[in-house]
Amino acid sequence: MNNIVLPDETQTDSSSDDETSLVVVILDSNPGQKMLRDSPHVLTHCVDSIIAFANSHLMQKAQNKLAIMACHSKTSQFIYPGQGKHTDVRQVDGQYEVFTAVEKITKKNLAKVLTADSSTVTKESLLAGAIAMALCYISRLQRTKPPGATLNCRILVVTGSSCSASQYMNYMNVFFTAQKQNVVIDVCALDQHLSLLQQGCDITNGLYLKVPQLQGLLQYLLWVFLPEPPIREKLVLPPPLKVDYRAACFCHRQLIEIGYVCSVCLSIFCRFSPICTTCHTVFKMPALPAVKPKKKKKI
Amino acid sequence: MSTSMEDVLLQVSQVRYKKGDGTLFLMDQRLIWMVENKDTVVVSHPYADIKSQKISPEGKAKVQLQVVLHNGVSSTFHFTNKTGIHGQLADRDKVKEMLQTLLPKFKRKVDRELEEKNKLLSSNPALLQLYKDLVMTEVVTSEEFWSQHAQQYTEKQKQQPQEIGVSGAFLADIKPQTDGCNGLKYNITPDIIECIFKTYPAVKKKYIDNVPSKLSESQFWTKFFQSHYFHRDRKYAESKDIFTECGKIDDQEMKKDIQTGVDDPFVNLTEFEDKTLDEGYGTGSNQLPGHSGTVSQAMIKRFNQHSIMVLKSCTTKTTATPAQQNGTDPNFSNINGENTSGESTTSAAVGKRKRLLEKITYDDLEDVESKKNATSVHLNLSKIERYLHGPMPDSNTDYINSSEASSILRGVIQETRQWNSRYPATSLVTPAAAVGALGELSPGGALMRGFQEQSLAQLVPPDIEKEVRNLYLALCELLKHFWRCFPPTTSTTEVKLIKMHEALNRFHTAKLKPFEDKLLRELSPLSHHLTKHLNQLLNAAYQKFSNWQKIKSR
Repeated sequence: MNNIVLPDETQTDSSSDDETSLVVVILDSNPGQKMLRDSPHVLTHCVDSIIAFANSHLMQKAQNKLAIMACHSKTSQFIYPGQGKHTDVRQVDGQYEVFTAVEKITKKNLAKVLTADSSTVTKESLLAGAIAMALCYISRLQRTKPPGATLNCRILVVTGSSCSASQYMNYMNVFFTAQKQNVVIDVCALDQHLSLLQQGCDITNGLYLKVPQLQGLLQYLLWVFLPEPPIREKLVLPPPLKVDYRAACFCHRQLIEIGYVCSVCLSIFCRFSPICTTCHTVFKMPALPAVKPKKKKKI
Repeated sequence: MSTSMEDVLLQVSQVRYKKGDGTLFLMDQRLIWMVENKDTVVVSHPYADIKSQKISPEGKAKVQLQVVLHNGVSSTFHFTNKTGIHGQLADRDKVKEMLQTLLPKFKRKVDRELEEKNKLLSSNPALLQLYKDLVMTEVVTSEEFWSQHAQQYTEKQKQQPQEIGVSGAFLADIKPQTDGCNGLKYNITPDIIECIFKTYPAVKKKYIDNVPSKLSESQFWTKFFQSHYFHRDRKYAESKDIFTECGKIDDQEMKKDIQTGVDDPFVNLTEFEDKTLDEGYGTGSNQLPGHSGTVSQAMIKRFNQHSIMVLKSCTTKTTATPAQQNGTDPNFSNINGENTSGESTTSAAVGKRKRLLEKITYDDLEDVESKKNATSVHLNLSKIERYLHGPMPDSNTDYINSSEASSILRGVIQETRQWNSRYPATSLVTPAAAVGALGELSPGGALMRGFQEQSLAQLVPPDIEKEVRNLYLALCELLKHFWRCFPPTTSTTEVKLIKMHEALNRFHTAKLKPFEDKLLRELSPLSHHLTKHLNQLLNAAYQKFSNWQKIKSR
């Protein structure tokens, strides 16, 4: 993460007391995503949409800031602003140089990330790690910002991967850290419903949207995710869906509404067992009268 | 005979009541009717119960007078004077006029009650609304309402005001002012007088004895402040004072108090000598000659006594009021309100020990070491990886074989190669896709489901909203009483249960149904949506009631 250069902000920010807003876009670049398997062209579409979205964000206010990350199965990297200075951007087609720079740098670095990954074994994307990196970046900016300036930060995750339980703890840590740091996490699901990330959106007051059709991705991004969180309240946006906070039991990995929780290690079980299988704590059998007839039935 | 002690204001014979001939009496408290030639009082209405009187219109064959009571019952009297219709009319008019003068006198009594209720209703908007919803629609009768539903409000009124204690420094707070010519001016207020009386009952007794028969009030207080009694700490003897006796009484009380003793280990009432610690930490016994005359002793004594009196004035009050909470014994002088004299010596010793410990231990000086030494227990986990996965459902991860993966990767990298060359600008979003996306994101679109429900608050006009709120208020009150009857163990609760069930039924038909009809007319898209939950609540109650009835009939 230290390979990225912090943008110079002394000239612009000290003069204006306006609020600055930073968007960290996390793009899932894992080739294992189902939609990429079906057609690799989708990647170009997604990247272009995200670049257009990022440029729109930058266009909204001169002070607005942007960071784009690529999230892979083994690594997560900042692809914009990337390493070194990029002074070689000239005006093309009358486009604002910054926009051109965003596009060029993003594409160049993303291609680098993709070609560097030569392994043939596909694994899940390390989204939690990418979000953690984004949070670190945000907190660094918060620390180094000039006194008196306000920096509103949010993270937008664009992914077509599926949710995986193996990152559960990492996800939860990241979500609650974001909540504590007042960082909003938005999630744009391209392919599958992501229940864990949806919880994260709910926790951090972000928006979760599963895009119904990829063709209109830019439309969805601009419509839903471009407005800043304070403005969103005034807009008619898709209402938050009911977030499923049900937990899965540790023994069968099935979602349960009511279960047993070990008082020592907080493991969740769908059935009562006298010995906790996670921490081997021995429990007394519940002496409730309601349990007795059950036992008889079983015998 | 109940009439023996009452004055008969008017007696009219030949009055028929329910086909029986008799005599109508107007007493000074009530209206009675007795059967002819019998001593039994058949009808007896206290005037306070009578709401109004009515007379039959002119020209009717029967000359009648009707008395309507507050509870809705009415009695009709038929005047059958044998002298004919004029005599009957004259009889009736006599009664009517008499009643007209009598009724307003008694009405005031009822009015006071009504006024009180009125005041209660106007000061509690929630109660007023409940009254409107339940009583005015005859879901619940007025008596039931006041006895059950408004109980907490009426009880609140009855609460006794708390007795204010006596400030220990009330005498010192009376700051005398010099009037310039060698005199002092004391300003005392009724509050201070109250305090003095509370603390020194002997003075109160004197006051009652002397004022105003022998002295005027100001004279009495002038004497009080001039007296030896007030300036007791100054030792001068003058026995011509009316307060000398008070001093004696107080001294006796004091002696009694000292004899009973104080259970506080830090208080010694009998010790008057001030012992200082020596340099060698022994108690010095070098009493200064001539010093510590009886003046300072008297001063200390006075202070002690004053404190005792002040505390006593509070304890006697607490025992007098029913809300006695501190277990202090009124006939025991307790300086600190700690122990009672009735306790055994062992408990006293324990109490003393506790008090001493309280005084000599300091929380912040407790050694921190003992807390630090508590070792934390390690959590031994057997399946850590399962533990780290957390409570997430098992997702079926699809594996891709290596050849497929490499082909995908190749495709993706191929894709990236195109990026280097600036390809001709193609539109990122086709118009059709954009319109589709906009349609989904507009209200009513596929992504905006549930938006309608959310904006229900915006769709409901404020007056309807208020009505719904009132409905809830009333229904919840009724349901509260309904559910409180479960389980109906006694016959009274059973009766109340049935009553409440009927009340719920009445509420349903009298309030909820009309409201639903109104909704259907005015807000057809919402219709039953708003009252759904109310109906659910009612149905749950009905279900419970029918279940109970089934079980009971078995």
